[in-house]
Amino acid sequence: MSSDVRFTDFKSDKQPTWCPGCGDFGTMNGMMKALAETGNDPDNTFLVAGIGCSGKIGTYMRSYALHGVHGRALPVGVGVKAANPELEVMVAGGDGDGYSIGVGHFIHAVRRNMDMTYVVMDNRIYGLTKGQFSPTSREDFETSTSPDGPQQSPVNPLALALAAGGSFIAQSFSSDAQRHAEIVQQAVEHDGFGFVNVYSPCVTFNDVDTYDYFRDSLVDLGEDDDFDPTDYDQATEVILDNDKEYQGVIYKDEESVPYNESHGLTENLSEIPSSPPEDAMDLVREFY
Amino acid sequence: MHEDLNWAIGGEAGDGIDSTGKIFAQALSRAGRHVFTSKDFASRIRGGYTAYKVRTSVEKVESVVDRLDILIALTQRTVEENMDELQEGSVIIYDGERTTMQDLEIPDGMIGLDVPLKSLAEDAGGAIMANVVALGVACKVAQFPIENLAESLEKRFGSKGSSIVENNKEAARLGQKYVEDNYDHDFGFKLETTDNDYVLLNGDEAIGMGALAAGCRFYAGYPITPATNVMEYLTGRIERYGGTVIQAEDELSAINIALGAARAGARSMTATSGPGIDLMTETFGLVATTETPLVIVDVMRSGPSTGMPTKQEQGDLNQLLYGGHGEIPRFVLAPTTVADCFHKTVEAFNLAEKYQIPVYVASDLALAVTEQTFAPEEFAMDEIEIERGNVVDADDIEAYQNEKGQFQPHLATDDGISPRTFPGTSGGVHMTTGLEHDALGRRTEDTEVRLEQVHKRDRKVETAQDRETWTYTEYGDADADTLVLSWGSNEGAIREALSFLDDEGIAVRFLSCSYMFPRADLTEEIEAAENVIVVECNANGQFANLIERDTLTRVERINKYNGVRFKADELATEIKDVLATGTEVTA
Repeated sequence: MSSDVRFTDFKSDKQPTWCPGCGDFGTMNGMMKALAETGNDPDNTFLVAGIGCSGKIGTYMRSYALHGVHGRALPVGVGVKAANPELEVMVAGGDGDGYSIGVGHFIHAVRRNMDMTYVVMDNRIYGLTKGQFSPTSREDFETSTSPDGPQQSPVNPLALALAAGGSFIAQSFSSDAQRHAEIVQQAVEHDGFGFVNVYSPCVTFNDVDTYDYFRDSLVDLGEDDDFDPTDYDQATEVILDNDKEYQGVIYKDEESVPYNESHGLTENLSEIPSSPPEDAMDLVREFY
Repeated sequence: MHEDLNWAIGGEAGDGIDSTGKIFAQALSRAGRHVFTSKDFASRIRGGYTAYKVRTSVEKVESVVDRLDILIALTQRTVEENMDELQEGSVIIYDGERTTMQDLEIPDGMIGLDVPLKSLAEDAGGAIMANVVALGVACKVAQFPIENLAESLEKRFGSKGSSIVENNKEAARLGQKYVEDNYDHDFGFKLETTDNDYVLLNGDEAIGMGALAAGCRFYAGYPITPATNVMEYLTGRIERYGGTVIQAEDELSAINIALGAARAGARSMTATSGPGIDLMTETFGLVATTETPLVIVDVMRSGPSTGMPTKQEQGDLNQLLYGGHGEIPRFVLAPTTVADCFHKTVEAFNLAEKYQIPVYVASDLALAVTEQTFAPEEFAMDEIEIERGNVVDADDIEAYQNEKGQFQPHLATDDGISPRTFPGTSGGVHMTTGLEHDALGRRTEDTEVRLEQVHKRDRKVETAQDRETWTYTEYGDADADTLVLSWGSNEGAIREALSFLDDEGIAVRFLSCSYMFPRADLTEEIEAAENVIVVECNANGQFANLIERDTLTRVERINKYNGVRFKADELATEIKDVLATGTEVTA
C-alpha cells in the first residue's frame, strides 16, 4: 500500500452512463475517497458489484473487480476475503440486489461478519428496468407495476442488519459528499462487516424520494452529542423510528470478532506448491 | 464354498448400523482382505430400515451381488427387505429375546442363530454393545479371526479410553463364545487373512483427499445428501494446509463464495447433489464467462426434485452437459470407481486452471456410500503435478497489458487461453463481468468483440481437445462382437458381469467412459461391433442418446432407475437377455 494514493486512482477511464444527477455518482466518489483515505490502492482492492444501475460501478471504478449475478455479490466478496485476507474487499449494489433477490445473503453476510464493506445504493426504485417498485419503496408509491402502490411494508434494511447481529450499521446520503465519504471510511476501518445504506436518489423514476426530500428530512446523528453508536438501545430506537430519516454511524459493536479472525484466516490461499504436500501420504494412511 | 462373502447388518436408523458395519469392514481390510460396501438407507434420523452391506474377498471386489451369506437382523423388516438376496445356507443372526424379533420365522433352508445379543452385551458392560456381540458372532460363523475385529474396535473406540475398548472386545468374545457353545458346526465359510495393506475409503472421501492433494485450499458448500461427506472430510483437514471450509446459507451462495475464492487465486471447489446443481446453475454461466477455474462436484442421487435423496441415479448428465442459459463452455468428468474419484478430482483442478473453465465432477451416490479397499499406492501422491496454467506475476505483467497499461484478462489468444493474474498483483488490476465483455473484461455489445470472445472461449475447448487425452478405459475381449458402453460408477459391476459372462463363453468388449465432455469419438468402436449395449442408471438413457447422436447409430440400452445400483449378477443376466432378444429379431 502506498501512502500517496489519490482517490482518483480508483477511477477508471470509462465514463459512467448513469443519468445526469444520479445519486450513484456521489456514492461512488465517497467510496473512492474512503478507500484512498484508508491507505488502500487499486492493486489490493477487490470490488464486487451486483446487478442494476448500481452494479455498473465495477466498470467505473478502477480496482480488481467482479460484476456478478443479481443478488449474489456478497457471497463473492466473502470468498475473495476468505481466500486472501490481505485484500480490501468492498461490495456494492442496489436495494433490489441487496434487499430483494439477495436478502438471504445479506442477512447471512451480516451474521458472518467477514471483514469487508457493503455499500447499498438505495434509491427505493428499480431504475435499470425503468421504474418498478423496490423492496424499500413506500407502501403508496405508484409505479408501472404498482399503480396503487405496492401496499406492502418497505424493508427496513438497518433493522434487518441489527436483528442479524450486525457489528457496524450506518446510513448516508450521496449528496452530502463529505459525511458520506466519512461514514464509508468508518465502515472500511471497522474490523468486521461494515454496512452502509446510502440514500442515492434516482432522478428519473423516483419523484418522491428526491434530493429535496432527503435534504429536508435527514437527521445527522453525527451532530447529536448525546447519541452513542456503541449503545445498542439508542441504535435500536433510531433504527425502528420510521418517522425520520437518519444519517451517520448508527450502531457499532467494537467487541465483535470478524469471521476471518475467529477462523484464523490469514494466508493468501493463491500461493500453493507445485506438488502435493510432503505429508500427503499421511492422508492416505488415515484410511488404514 | 464361495470365494467371496456377502455380509450385512440391518435395522432401524439410529441402531448404529453404519458404525457397526464400518467396524466390520475395517477389520476385514486390516486383515488384508478386499472389501466393497454398500448401504440401504433412508433420509431419516431414526426408524425405517437401513443396512450396511459388506462384500469381501482376498481378490479385488468391485461391485455388489444379489446374494447375502450372513445377515445380522436387528429388526424383522431387515429380513423381509432382504428376502431376495437370502438363499439356502444363508445365516441370519438375531436376538430372539427382543420383543420385535419373537415372531421371526427363519425361511426354509436358512440357518437362524438366535443369540441373546443384548443380555450378552450387558454381561460385557452395557446393552449399547449388542451390535458388537453380533460382530463376534459373525466372526465365528465366517471363521474370521476375532483378533482383527479387536484391532478395528481399538481404532473406533480408542479415543474413548481403554476400558471402553476392552468392554467392546469382551462383547465380541462373548458373541463368539455363544456360538461355540450353542451352535458348534461348520457354516461353510472361512475368511483367510493376508499380509496386504489396504486402505478403506468412500468416494466422497476420495474426492476430498484428491482436492487436498491437488492444492485445493478453499471449499464452500451447503449440506446435502450424498455430498455432505466431502465437506465433512475437508473440515479439519484443509486447515492443516492453511485452507478453509465455509458452510454457506444455500447453494446459490456456496458457488458464489467458491467463485470469489477462485478469483482471489485459490484452488476452489464446491460439492453438492442434483437440487444444489439446479441452484448453482444460475452462477455456472458467470463462472464460465468470467473464465474462472472452479471445480464443482455433483454427487448424483435420484431426481427429479427432491426425488429419492438416499437412492442411486445417474440422472444429471444432461444437466451437467447442457445446464444454464446461453452456451457455456465446460468440462464434465465422471469418475468410475472410488479411487477414480481421487484421480478425476486432481485432474479437474488442473484442467480448470489450465483452461480457466468450470469443471464438473459427476460422482454419484453409489460411489459416495461405497467403502472400498485399495492398495495405498493407488493414491500415489508423488506422481501428482499441480499445473496452474497461464498465471502471470508482476514481473511479466507488461506483456499482457494494452497500450494504456491495462491488463487484459480475456485477451483473445491463439489457443484461447488468456493470461490470468491474482488480485494484489501490481499492474494486474482488471475487472470481469457476466455481461459479454472485451479483452479488458468490460461490458460490450459490439458485434465484432462478441464474436471474438465467443470464439476464444470455444477455442479453449478445442485446445483442450487437442492437448489432453479424452479416452476410455477398455476391459474384456477386444475382438468381441458385443460392445458394452457405460459411464461413471457402473464400471465395477460391469467388469464383474463380464467375468460371469466369460465363464459362460460369452465374450464382451467393455469401454468404461469417464470423460463426458470433451469425450472420445466412439464411431469406429461401434462400427466394429455387432451388438452395442449402453448401460446406465437412469430411465431415459442420457448417455445412450449422446452416443447415438455422436455416431449416428442405434444402440441397445440397459437402464436401471429404481434407486438401486447395478449388481454384477443381475447385469450379466440382463446383457444375456439383450443379446438373446437381438438374435430373435435378426432371426
